[in-house]
Amino acid sequence: MTEMLDYIQFVLAPQVVTGLVLGVAVILVALGLTIIFGLLDVINMSHGEFYALGAFASVALGAIGVPFWLLLILVPLLMLPVGYIVERGLIQRVFHSGDRHVTTLLLTFGLGLVLEDVFRLVFGPNPHKPETPMPGAIELIGIFLPIYRLFLIAIGVAIIIAVALVVYRTRLGAMVRAAAFDRNMAASLGVPVSWVYAGAFAFGVALAALAGVLLAPIYSVFPTMGRDFILIAFTVVIVGGMGSIAGAVVAGLFLTQVQAIASLYISPVWTDPIVFGIMVLMLIVRPQGLFGRLGHA
Amino acid sequence: MKTKTTVLTTLLCATALSSAFAADPIKIGVVTPLTGTYAGIGQQVRWGLELATKEVNAAGGIMGRTVDLTFEDEEANPSVAVQKAEKLFQVGKVDFLTGTVNSGSTLAVGQLAERAGKLISTTVSFADSITGDRCSPNVFRVNARAGQQSSALAAWLAKEKPKAKVFYLGPDYEMGRSTVAAFKSDVQRVGGASLGEVFAPLDSKDYTQYFGQIRATRPEVLYTSVAGNDTVRLFTQLQEFGLLGNLTVLGASGTVTSQNVAAIGKAAEGFVTGVGYSAEIATPENKKFVEAFRAAYKADPDLYGADSYGLVYAYKAAVEKAKSTETDKVRDALRGLKWQTPQGEKTLRAGDHQAVQTMYVVRVTGGQFKIVSQVTGEEAIGADACTRF
Repeated sequence: MTEMLDYIQFVLAPQVVTGLVLGVAVILVALGLTIIFGLLDVINMSHGEFYALGAFASVALGAIGVPFWLLLILVPLLMLPVGYIVERGLIQRVFHSGDRHVTTLLLTFGLGLVLEDVFRLVFGPNPHKPETPMPGAIELIGIFLPIYRLFLIAIGVAIIIAVALVVYRTRLGAMVRAAAFDRNMAASLGVPVSWVYAGAFAFGVALAALAGVLLAPIYSVFPTMGRDFILIAFTVVIVGGMGSIAGAVVAGLFLTQVQAIASLYISPVWTDPIVFGIMVLMLIVRPQGLFGRLGHA
Repeated sequence: MKTKTTVLTTLLCATALSSAFAADPIKIGVVTPLTGTYAGIGQQVRWGLELATKEVNAAGGIMGRTVDLTFEDEEANPSVAVQKAEKLFQVGKVDFLTGTVNSGSTLAVGQLAERAGKLISTTVSFADSITGDRCSPNVFRVNARAGQQSSALAAWLAKEKPKAKVFYLGPDYEMGRSTVAAFKSDVQRVGGASLGEVFAPLDSKDYTQYFGQIRATRPEVLYTSVAGNDTVRLFTQLQEFGLLGNLTVLGASGTVTSQNVAAIGKAAEGFVTGVGYSAEIATPENKKFVEAFRAAYKADPDLYGADSYGLVYAYKAAVEKAKSTETDKVRDALRGLKWQTPQGEKTLRAGDHQAVQTMYVVRVTGGQFKIVSQVTGEEAIGADACTRF
């Protein structure tokens, strides 16, 4: 019995917490991705790079002395105009062609490559690591929990709830869902669709950047970090349903927990194939994902 | 149309004439990670090679010919390294190739070099097998291998913490497994106890999943051979979880270097490793080298920069001894070659093409790598395990 308690205390519980930390961050990134897909029908291959951009911004601003709590507010705000410019300046140029899916995919993929090289040119290939904002840990029923990770989970959950409230309980959210459901009808009813599109893209980018700021002290910052994240973010979006917020949350939690707990029993290298295996299975059995698309029933 | 042809023909003749007068340069191909996890290492390799090449060319080149470096990105991936090496051999027609970092890349490119009839040398790869059971007549190594590093470190451990209880954590590929195996056998030899080992995939984001195991065995010493970004994450996560308190961390020489020590910060304090180079070595040659390096690149050289710098001089000495760049003649000249490097005199052992050199034990103190002891080349080198030639 004590052996099992020891196991839960030292191995299983910390692993679940680690999975939650990653899960919350993945959900933030996947939320942006799924909103952009649900609303604009654009597969944003550069989304990982915006996550990295947020992290690099926190490193750069932190180096000139901006305190962490201010970074949490400032960096996403700074990303909003960046997202707006990308949407209006780049995506809208290829949005109205017939093969929009292909062109936007290629466009965002290229943008991702360019951004990654820009990071390497500006910041160098070596890793950077901002100071952990809340060092120290607490012992909760014998489980060792770093304070910063708990903070991360708390703030991530708060933001996710806020996003869900905005999308489902406010007029702004209703406009977004209407535009996702039927763009032309919404436009004729007075919804400023092009603003909604640009705004949603900017918002998705800001969420990814916020995830970058939050994770930077734990996972360190380096030019290829976007690549680490984009695969699991896409898997979450596909499994949860492309364009579904509830789906992103559920799939995000589920997949990261699967990854965290599986790595206790099998070689960690196999956790990635398992997660992708679930994605493939979902595509075969239920291609629309767990939940429906944004705005649709 | 006719004027265009005339102009083109004149240009062609002009280039033919001009190349007849210039002595053709010696081409050294460099396949090194310029992007990806080990990009920081590739940057030091590049800096070391470029500094040495500039100095050699300024002093008249090798046998009057300038040295040309051509860089290709290996992305720390053996299959990419092989493609790029093939390109350099067949299209670039390089005389010599170097720069591979990933031990798997060195082994793969070595096989390619045998087929292409050219020589390569690594200045970074640690895996013992490269000059051990998988040695090749076309592969040389001017840097210290895992066995030499762990001999130095084990000697230090025997003096400082005899009978220590050690846990091992390495990256799950050739280098990780061979460094852990080498140090484990050295630990058994000096009377320590091995508590357990775990191998994490390269580029692991979160090492916390192994902390449960580590805590359960209660080690005094942790040996790790992760590198680059992985070290930053492992050390800061160890600190975050309060594991660094009564743990001495030892590691392979590539684990903490000048490229990642800044990012690791206070978590690197007290880290000890056996290494073939430190910027603190007090010889006049090294001081000159470090000053030149700092002036050119505004950063300290680490073992990769220093060993890559040393390679150019080794190649120069071999070509001058052989009076040719032909593969067989240079190979004979390199075997048994003794040459001066910033870290003293090195010898390339003829039996396995491995460099024999003094090894240093270095501790990170306040972000600097301070030398705490050293071991002679003969003590550290270990047996010649190469039976192919």
